[in-house]
Amino acid sequence: METNDDIDIEQALRSYSDRMRFRQQLTAVQEQLNMEAMYESSHPTTSGMIEEGRVRSLWRAYRTTLAVAASAAMITTFGSIFLYRAYQDGHQQQVQQYRQLSKELQAVRTSQRRLINDINGRGHGLSLNPAQVAGTGFLLTSDGYFVTNNHIIQNADSVYVQSSKGEVYKARVVHADRTHDLAILQLCEDSSFRPLPPVPYCFDLKPSDLGERVYTLGYPREEIVYGEGYLSSGTGYRGDSTAYQLAISVNPGNSGGPLLNEKGNIIGIISGKQTTAEDVSFAVKANYLFEALNGISTESMKGQSIRLNHKNTLAKLSRQQQIKRVQDYVYQVKVFKHKE
Amino acid sequence: MKESKRLDLTDTELLVGLAEGSNEVLLQLYRRYFPMVLHFITSNSGSEDDAKDIYQEALVLLYEKAKSGSFELQAQLKTYLYSVVRRLWLKQLAQRSRFMVRDVEKPASDEAALGQMNDDLLDHEERDRQFNLMAESLNRLGEPCKTLLEDFYIQHLSMQEITEKFGYTNADNAKTQKYKCLMRLKRLFFAEYKEKR
Repeated sequence: METNDDIDIEQALRSYSDRMRFRQQLTAVQEQLNMEAMYESSHPTTSGMIEEGRVRSLWRAYRTTLAVAASAAMITTFGSIFLYRAYQDGHQQQVQQYRQLSKELQAVRTSQRRLINDINGRGHGLSLNPAQVAGTGFLLTSDGYFVTNNHIIQNADSVYVQSSKGEVYKARVVHADRTHDLAILQLCEDSSFRPLPPVPYCFDLKPSDLGERVYTLGYPREEIVYGEGYLSSGTGYRGDSTAYQLAISVNPGNSGGPLLNEKGNIIGIISGKQTTAEDVSFAVKANYLFEALNGISTESMKGQSIRLNHKNTLAKLSRQQQIKRVQDYVYQVKVFKHKE
Repeated sequence: MKESKRLDLTDTELLVGLAEGSNEVLLQLYRRYFPMVLHFITSNSGSEDDAKDIYQEALVLLYEKAKSGSFELQAQLKTYLYSVVRRLWLKQLAQRSRFMVRDVEKPASDEAALGQMNDDLLDHEERDRQFNLMAESLNRLGEPCKTLLEDFYIQHLSMQEITEKFGYTNADNAKTQKYKCLMRLKRLFFAEYKEKR
């Protein structure tokens, strides 16, 4: 090993000195060179290449760069188109999937409306000038406080409510809660409104259990319509924790309707459904109704406060009896907007 | 007449001449191929000095290859030299963050020639490292060892001349001294060399 290394180091020294010597020789040779002649003779060899043309030589030099640039441009262009489309599709789907159940009434034939019994004769005015949006709502208190969905009454010029018996009252919007899609109305503005007997239902603030049998009343058409189903999830559209998911058949016009459980307690307010799935509807949880009530400014309440009913008079009644009692408190909401 | 005779040298003859260290052959190599290198370097943002340096580098590589004896060209000498110069210059350009060159010749493209060239360039890099390390080790060796070794191995002075120059009592004494120096150089050299490998 020792001798091997000795040879190695001598070898390394020798090649070192050899290279030194060779470089010196090269430098010496270089100095003898006639650089002008070199430049001169450098042209004949190259003229062939140059005659190929400036463009072609540029193309040769830069075609790789060009290819890279072109593909980058292509990827960017198509990528952004693709992304934009994907975004657009996703966005449209989102809008389409969640359908608020307010009803556009323009297409409804007025002949149907003419059949409505109207004691006060005000229904005539309505039939001449049909409402543009309709939904459902129900009384919170017997003295005329009323709740429905915010999406029904938003941008409204005037709001009317119509009972199942056909009585029409003008309503005033007391409070609108966009985040929970709730709106509080007041009917007693209208002098013709007579306080009803105390509301038969009360409000259940505890979270309801999955599988609870529920029913609703609403106005998907001019008549009040009953629908029943069960509570299928504790959260709403896209995990919205302020809502329940229901398996219940609802249609445009059902929005704002009360969601009652077996005992006749109100546990939510119908707000929308998912269009891409069968029987998937959503209702705002009743405790957010309370939040909305607490959010009402004292000014718009004119010093009064809303006292909710705590006595449930429905609990022991059969479903048919419950509905008979409740339907007097569920109204159709008709909204008039000026046309854009 | 002499000129025309020289121009007739084949690639093999040039390589043999180069290995023998013939000045004629070197001049010939410059006359034949340096204009091409000069044109290549100057049309790729290099100067005349760059061209000289790069061509010298390529010739060093070729010289050491030719001296090793086992060297066989897989392409024309002109193509080989051009390809080596091209690669060396590209490496320099890469240090200046440029990765494109405009060719003035066709570089070697078939697999055998490319493979050989890659190997040769790797060998050359390795020898470069050894060379630099040797220079560094010699410097760190200090006097009188540095001069003694350089005189013997580079200036090729005889032992007798060295004995006289350094004032040793006899040639044996000088030899022992040279051996000791060599051992010290070895330690310095291999300490770095093996570490890096």
